Amino acid sequence: MTVDARTGLLRKNNLPTILGGIGALLIGLLISIAVLAPWLAPYDASERVGTPFQPPSAEHPLGTNDVGQDLLSELIFGTRVSLTVGIVAAAVALLIGTTVGVLAGYYPKRLGSVLMRTVDVILILPFLPLLIVLAAYLGRSLTTTTLVIGSLIWAGSARIIRSQVLSLRTRDYVLASKSMGASDRWAILRHVLPRTALLATGEFVQATAGAILLEAALSFLGLGDPLQKSWGSILYWAQVRGAFLSPAWKWWVLPPGLMIMLASLGFALVAFAMEERINPRL
Amino acid sequence: MGRLDLRRIFQYGLVLFVAVTLNFLLPRFMPGNPLELIAGVDVGLLTPEQRAQVVAEAGLDLPLWRQYFQYWGDLITGDFGFSYRSSRPIVDMIAERLPWTLLLTFASLALSAVIGVIAGAVSAWRRGRKLDLSFLSSMIALESLPSFWLGMLFVSILAVSMGIFPSFGAETPASSLTGWDRFQDIAIHAVLPVATLSIVSVPGIYMTMRYSMLEVLGEDFIRTARAKGAAESRVLFGHVARNAFAPVLTVLALRLGYAFGGTVVIETVFSYPGLGRLVFEAVGGRDYPVMQGAFLVFTIAVLIANLLADLLYPLVDPRTRTS
Repeated sequence: MTVDARTGLLRKNNLPTILGGIGALLIGLLISIAVLAPWLAPYDASERVGTPFQPPSAEHPLGTNDVGQDLLSELIFGTRVSLTVGIVAAAVALLIGTTVGVLAGYYPKRLGSVLMRTVDVILILPFLPLLIVLAAYLGRSLTTTTLVIGSLIWAGSARIIRSQVLSLRTRDYVLASKSMGASDRWAILRHVLPRTALLATGEFVQATAGAILLEAALSFLGLGDPLQKSWGSILYWAQVRGAFLSPAWKWWVLPPGLMIMLASLGFALVAFAMEERINPRL
Repeated sequence: MGRLDLRRIFQYGLVLFVAVTLNFLLPRFMPGNPLELIAGVDVGLLTPEQRAQVVAEAGLDLPLWRQYFQYWGDLITGDFGFSYRSSRPIVDMIAERLPWTLLLTFASLALSAVIGVIAGAVSAWRRGRKLDLSFLSSMIALESLPSFWLGMLFVSILAVSMGIFPSFGAETPASSLTGWDRFQDIAIHAVLPVATLSIVSVPGIYMTMRYSMLEVLGEDFIRTARAKGAAESRVLFGHVARNAFAPVLTVLALRLGYAFGGTVVIETVFSYPGLGRLVFEAVGGRDYPVMQGAFLVFTIAVLIANLLADLLYPLVDPRTRTS
């Protein structure tokens, strides 16, 4: 609830709740697809089960790709790859971002300023080109993609968490526990870290939305794992084989992109709802 | 009132240093044979003598610190090395591609800035109302769009099916258009890539502008302006938007980094002959020096943009202006 700037009356805005609900629903749906993939998919996504370049039919609802794999099955199994990379990369970012943010906020002088310098450098570097160079050198595998994305997207969160810790460290309960002889380590783990949890979770959900898009972009450029095709990889092959220049775009290009969008949107909506609760801007 | 203080200069220097050092270290410490990664030759095919010669030519027999200084020296004299694939100097390859990428980047950044700033200002002004909420929801949705997919759909629908726009390239191939005709040809080829890039970068600018506006709206001088009976539109554009715009400028400079990243995927979709497409080709051909050269040029461009933003900031922000 916020106070309306003009009328001065309390008003309730339930948009964040609605949007957050839609987001949670989307995430739940996609995770179910990922978990149930072997039962949902009509075929093994890596098997050549039909003639290449088939339009949709009863046997292959979304047709087949350039080597005769079933596109619907690829789409369903791709959910696993895309969601896993997105979530794990965001978790890596959460770990680095929280550590850096808490340390930089708790020790603002020397350590803090060195850490924040690093954060600034990472934020200025052209992001996707750097990601591409690193991914190209490190090789095409799920682990590489995940780690490279995770190790580059934490900087924004670190800055936000730091500013919260900066104010937390001077609160009474921190000062009290320190005056009673508690170590910094204790004060951080017992008092500071738990209070950053909500903010950090919001950042994690937001980072997942971004990581899903980044994974898609890397895979689209041909830097995805060749053996574990994600939605982005499906689009890479659609691009290489010119599917978007033919009527095949309706079943080969449209569905994977929609899935990427819905996945990213699901997390973005939940993140928005969380952020509105922490720091209402509506 | 220049914000161009030493700390910023130091920071930009640090960014350049990190980018160059990363470029230097990556091929030397990555899995795989550094000789192959740096000299671009198939080591297995060489006799020991040839191998020693290649090593000496690439300077790989020198101690690491000397290689590093040599690397800097080469870069400063404009020597970015040679492409593995075409054996051409990378500087030449980048120079012929860069103008196209700058065209796409600046056109889309300008377009999305205008749309984002106006939408953000209006949205904040109508905070919590229907207009604001629908703007906000659509921006969250836009932000989730994979840009390359949007580009592919544009090609499929607007270029191939409906034939309104050309589906690839920056110009009609093998045409001998000149002057105004050539300009028009280039413009029509740029429409879809620029539109795609703009659509995906509006939300970020919108969010920044909206947030910045909300902060300014809470300040005293706005209440004063309203109290003295200034017209709504004058308060909005004359007072609030003017004050809220300055942070957006900084964000615009930072967004240039994203915009460049965006061109890599968008130029791939539209077969647009810019630097981004060059990166994609280099990824496909494992042409590492080209990728690195492009990364460095992108970094330098971002730094220049940041410097410009620092210089322009005082002109834009009324609070730092001295009379």
